[in-house]
Amino acid sequence: MSKTQRIESTMEVVRTLVGLVIAYAVALVILFAISEDPVYIVQQFILGPLSSPRRIGSIINLAIPFTLCGLAMCFMYAVNRFNLVPEGIFMLSACTVTWVALKLGNGLPAIVMLPILFVVAILTGVVIAFIPAIMERKFNANVVVVSLMLNSIIAFLAVAIMRYTMRDSSISYIASYEIPASAQMPKILGKFSIQSGIIIAIVAVVAVSLLFYKTSFGWKMRLVGENPRFAGAVGLSAVSISFAAQLIGGGMAGIAGCTEMLGNYTRFRWSATTQHGFDGLLVAVLAKKNPALVPIGAIFLAYIRIGADVVNSTGDIPPEFITVIQGIIILLIAAESFMSKTKNKLIFKAAEKEEAERKQKQQANTAA
Amino acid sequence: MADELLRMQNITKIYSNGFIANKDVNLVIHKNEIHGLVGENGAGKTTLMKMLFGMELPNEGQIFINGKEEKIANPLDAISKGVGMVHQHFMLLPSLSVAENVTLGVEPIKNGLYDFERAVAETQAIADKYNFKIDARAKVRDLSVGQMQKVEILKALIKGAKLLIMDEPTAVLTPQETEELFEQLFVLRDDGVSIIFISHKLEEVMHICSRVTVLRHGVCMGSHDTKDLTQASLSKLMVGRDVVLKIEKEDPVTGAAVVSIKDLVKINTIGKNVIDGVSFDIHAGEVVGIAGVEGNGQTELAEVLSGLGMFASGDVLLNGETIKGKTVREIRDMGMAYIAEDRMVEGVAGNMSIKMNIVADRFTKKEFSKGIFMDAKKINDLVDQYIKDFEIACDSPDEPVRMLSGGNIQKVVVAREFTSGANFLLACQPTRGIDVGTAEMIRKTIVRKAREENLACLLISADLNEVLECSDRLLVMRKGKITAAFPKANEVSEETLGEYMLGVRDMTAEEMEALL
Repeated sequence: MSKTQRIESTMEVVRTLVGLVIAYAVALVILFAISEDPVYIVQQFILGPLSSPRRIGSIINLAIPFTLCGLAMCFMYAVNRFNLVPEGIFMLSACTVTWVALKLGNGLPAIVMLPILFVVAILTGVVIAFIPAIMERKFNANVVVVSLMLNSIIAFLAVAIMRYTMRDSSISYIASYEIPASAQMPKILGKFSIQSGIIIAIVAVVAVSLLFYKTSFGWKMRLVGENPRFAGAVGLSAVSISFAAQLIGGGMAGIAGCTEMLGNYTRFRWSATTQHGFDGLLVAVLAKKNPALVPIGAIFLAYIRIGADVVNSTGDIPPEFITVIQGIIILLIAAESFMSKTKNKLIFKAAEKEEAERKQKQQANTAA
Repeated sequence: MADELLRMQNITKIYSNGFIANKDVNLVIHKNEIHGLVGENGAGKTTLMKMLFGMELPNEGQIFINGKEEKIANPLDAISKGVGMVHQHFMLLPSLSVAENVTLGVEPIKNGLYDFERAVAETQAIADKYNFKIDARAKVRDLSVGQMQKVEILKALIKGAKLLIMDEPTAVLTPQETEELFEQLFVLRDDGVSIIFISHKLEEVMHICSRVTVLRHGVCMGSHDTKDLTQASLSKLMVGRDVVLKIEKEDPVTGAAVVSIKDLVKINTIGKNVIDGVSFDIHAGEVVGIAGVEGNGQTELAEVLSGLGMFASGDVLLNGETIKGKTVREIRDMGMAYIAEDRMVEGVAGNMSIKMNIVADRFTKKEFSKGIFMDAKKINDLVDQYIKDFEIACDSPDEPVRMLSGGNIQKVVVAREFTSGANFLLACQPTRGIDVGTAEMIRKTIVRKAREENLACLLISADLNEVLECSDRLLVMRKGKITAAFPKANEVSEETLGEYMLGVRDMTAEEMEALL
């Protein structure tokens, strides 16, 4: 690794840490102003999520959909298409798998049932992601706008499907019938009570990382994302590749919704989109579109969220406040040029030093 | 005429990368004159004007306006001192009216709100004064190019410009619009506005300018009265080589035509024939050079040949097959390699590793895959070999390309394009802006590959050294046409070449026939 590269990667870590410290410092100042017992609150926020196996389990459980959505967003982000439709797909695929599971009924064993449901989820994702992608390709419609609008449509579509085809009227709240036992994924790891979707998440991270870095399709996506004109000039079809990446990202979002549904719920009961897709974008940004880093970003985000829950239930702080702190942390981490001056200075200094050393050596040589 | 409006004295500008754009340049503009500023691409005209308009600061030298020394800090400062600039690429807001565009920055205000009626009146008044036929209420997007240019000029005039810088104003105009513009420039001149007229078109300069200043490689070649000059003597002043480079090479033994271009026509978005009936062949074993002032269709020709651009009519055969309707991938597979004009845009992906950039054109091929994954070892070995062969100075093949120097980035490009196995190399500005050593390596490799490996090469370059020394046959492109052809590039004098490049002379079709 060259000096410059080393400085760049070191600064990346330092920048993240400084971002965290600043965010927590800001939080602390505000806490001291508004809370009766700020030290306790801070302690709860930082250590609370780790204080019991159950809470640690909650972090992991929350990190699973974040990871899968983060991977989905990595595909969009890798080809520089901010197709935000995973937000809607997450909800719709949970809805479609519930519908299919209810139709298939109790007759099928889990080993047949689950693969069918995942295929349904992937198809849902691919079909939905196709819409903004084709709109952009054929009509030059802005993919961000189309996907955001589409998310609203999907949300109401999912609610309509639930209400008119599978609502269980015997219960007091609005939800579907209970899905067959063979479609429910068990909790594992005893007292941590973690959903078995963790296996899917781990497999997905490994598979997507390999796809990104070891296969020619991954290379194509990354080249297209970094410089589409260059990709064109060396004979890659930037349009088709980014199109394909969006469809795969959609499929991945489908897996995410399905995993969440089958792993954590027995009835489909969402009445609006769940923010998981947008959280996935956040995770992808935190991970710098590197799928291997997605779980880290996801766990970090989940840790903050659980911390907020803990504070909310044990202290006198409104949950909105925690959202503000989250915002600050993420802002500082995602801001790529934050501290870039320091970084450039370091690189400059290193280059100067190298130059001076080289000159000295030269002089020594000529003297000899 | 003796009244001096502007004096730029001993101006030197060195960019932070060490490039000397202007060296001790002197420029004197009198009142009531149209003054030509001419020079090749990269001669330093734009830099000099940027300093006058406050967009760059000179490292040395002084600027006097009306005899008073001035420091021009920024464009607003320049405008307040009576300097106006009409940019080559219009800076207008298409959805607003002419009056709104013209009064931008000096908006008339009534009751705290923009006074549209007065803006119209003011615009109309100044347009009438200089005999500009334009409707102040029209939206700019509905205007013709010639009219947009008038809006640009009005923008400068309403702010009280006494000195108008016009950067290649006729490049986008039709002949009729050009005539009209010149009439207006004469009116302006007689009314006390001096004009600096930057152009490549010598006949225009000779026609409207009373005096002309020539820049060559950042150095001032003096100011001259146009009546003492001919187009030929002016072109001689403009075109020249500073250091003469020699490449030893024997005459080519040419084989069959690898590329045949037949009556190629390309029409751009505004309906202009940017390539206008070009026909020529490139044979195995020879380097064909294309010289010409930039913007005469060379870039478009490269786009067509590389498969990145469409063409309207005609045909291009590569190894006997047409490239019409083929994708870049298919054309590359037919035997084309392409060194792009702007390496950071089409030559590399800066954030990607050296490795990925070197194999970018071929990693999709079967030979590099092992099952569903790529054959990492094969790729690494290949890349290591090329890094050694092309002496790419880097710490590891995984280093992002953007961390390399310009010369080393270009080595990454040529390491890819020279080794792709193609028998036709399309090389556009292959050595632009890189160090001498790398430039020499690239030029010699091009010639060597032509001689030893029967490569057919088309070399498009604005660097005269390069086209004269590397090429075997040399063609000159002007206004989308081939206007001259020479059998032996290294026997062409730069004066002759300059005359053809600038359109002082053209060859007839018969003269060129055997050479295309």
